[in-house]
Amino acid sequence: MPSPDDLRTGAADGVQEAATAAVTPAVSVRGVTHRYGRGADAVTALGPLSLDVPAGEFLVLVGPSGSGKSTLLRLIAGFEHATSGDVTVHGGTPEPGRQAGVVFQQPRLFPWRTVGENIALALRYAGVPRAERPARVEDLLERVGLAGTAGRRTWQISGGQQQRVAIARAMAGGKDLLLLDEPFAALDALTRERLQEDLRTVSARTGITSVLVTHSVDEAVFLGTRAVVLSAGPGTVALDVRISLPRTGNDDPDGLRGLPEYAALRAEIGAAVRDAAR
Amino acid sequence: MTTPTTTEKQPSGPPLSPGPATARPARRRSPERTARLRRAGLRLVALVVLLALWQLVTALRLWSPLLVPPPSAVWDALVTTSGTHDGVRGYQGHTLVEHLGISLRRIAIGAGAGVLAGLVAGILMGTLPWVRVVFEPAVAFLRTLPPLAYFSLLIIWFGIDEAPKLWLLAIAAMPPVAVATASAVASAPASLVEAARAIGARRSQVVASVVLPSALPEILVGVRLAFGIAYSSVVAAETVNGLPGIGGMIRDAQRYNQSDVVVLGLFAIGVSGLLIDALLRGAENRLAPWRRLS
Repeated sequence: MPSPDDLRTGAADGVQEAATAAVTPAVSVRGVTHRYGRGADAVTALGPLSLDVPAGEFLVLVGPSGSGKSTLLRLIAGFEHATSGDVTVHGGTPEPGRQAGVVFQQPRLFPWRTVGENIALALRYAGVPRAERPARVEDLLERVGLAGTAGRRTWQISGGQQQRVAIARAMAGGKDLLLLDEPFAALDALTRERLQEDLRTVSARTGITSVLVTHSVDEAVFLGTRAVVLSAGPGTVALDVRISLPRTGNDDPDGLRGLPEYAALRAEIGAAVRDAAR
Repeated sequence: MTTPTTTEKQPSGPPLSPGPATARPARRRSPERTARLRRAGLRLVALVVLLALWQLVTALRLWSPLLVPPPSAVWDALVTTSGTHDGVRGYQGHTLVEHLGISLRRIAIGAGAGVLAGLVAGILMGTLPWVRVVFEPAVAFLRTLPPLAYFSLLIIWFGIDEAPKLWLLAIAAMPPVAVATASAVASAPASLVEAARAIGARRSQVVASVVLPSALPEILVGVRLAFGIAYSSVVAAETVNGLPGIGGMIRDAQRYNQSDVVVLGLFAIGVSGLLIDALLRGAENRLAPWRRLS
């Protein structure tokens, strides 16, 4: 078993490791800064920051409010463009709906469509032929634990189930990058835990590259293969640490949380987040 | 292994028991229904009282029956205009239902065209800011004009037959739909627009899959308003060469002081207007059921 010190890598080491692990990283962030507003009123939300996400990694961005972690995710998603520096996804400029599936804090389902139709719409925009869509919808719903709910109305299911549908919709495009912006923050504790466990299982089985933003240290340790702590205003990397907990897709969640490494990582990341918040 | 998570799961057990949740709807429904019945009953009583008062006032002969016809005279007018009596068919050769039907047809075609034009204008105004800047004053101007004011111009342009009537109804119905559509389209929820872009929707697809569906409830309110305005303008549209037509019938009866026929015409317009409004309201609830719940 590796000690917590072995698990830890410095920010610079992490970038180097990533560069050798894959020829082109899934996501590359180079000297990026982002400012909101203009002139004297401009507020720097992020950077300068450099970060690589190799394919297959589950990166969790942790940080206090105002650390720019959501801004960074929006840059990677292509919803916003960096004030300076470069963000590339698979070597190209990020564009919404092209390279990544996105899960937001709120489910953001279309209420005029049923559960199945919400997912089918994503399949349609991804170019899946009409005849194949029903089977794919059912398959995706099954993956998020909602088999047989395609005909339900989005307001007839619980908040947790809505977020599961949102995850299925984000995966429907078949993109090899998944971006999640505090996806479980609005859910109650019990539901949040279930969804974390299920997301971990899906992620471990598919190995899809993911970037998740959270303010929860527990969520970071539990879900990630790597955690980056951003410091408050403007966001820069305060800690970059590898998480090497078992990831078979069949792990006992309570067993994981009981491991000494889990506690050590939790303590280390927690301390970094507290420092970052100042 | 005692982690805080397992202890957290236990207290949330009991509230999930299905007992009270399934019992509630059955218990809640019956008082709701009795309340609705009571309201309907109260309305019926009020209607009967009103009719009795009307009959009383005319029986006392406070005013000449020529000015205030008794309910019985209006009923007689309904009977005579509904069939052929003494070789005379309905009123001026058409039954009441035919007069009403012709007016409804004018409303359907004229206001229907106005609603379509308003939809197109509203979507363009809501999505393209410069279109809004250019056309918003014109629509607002048109909205303030009473239909009778531009009817004279329409008669000069289009003569006295169907065309000016349809134009009047179209012009009257267009602005409310355009205004409602423009504001609804412009205020499409940014979160859902972003969600659509996140699954790869192009600009036109965002309009089709998010902007229009989310604007639908407000558009339907505009459509209801438009038909209401068209309804109240139909008498104006039928002031010139309006027979057959319910507005024309009222105008014609006025000329001969047939107040019973005038009152009958008012009832016909009022009742059919309420029915159409109820239909549109039903369509609203059916087409946008999520609106009631969110």
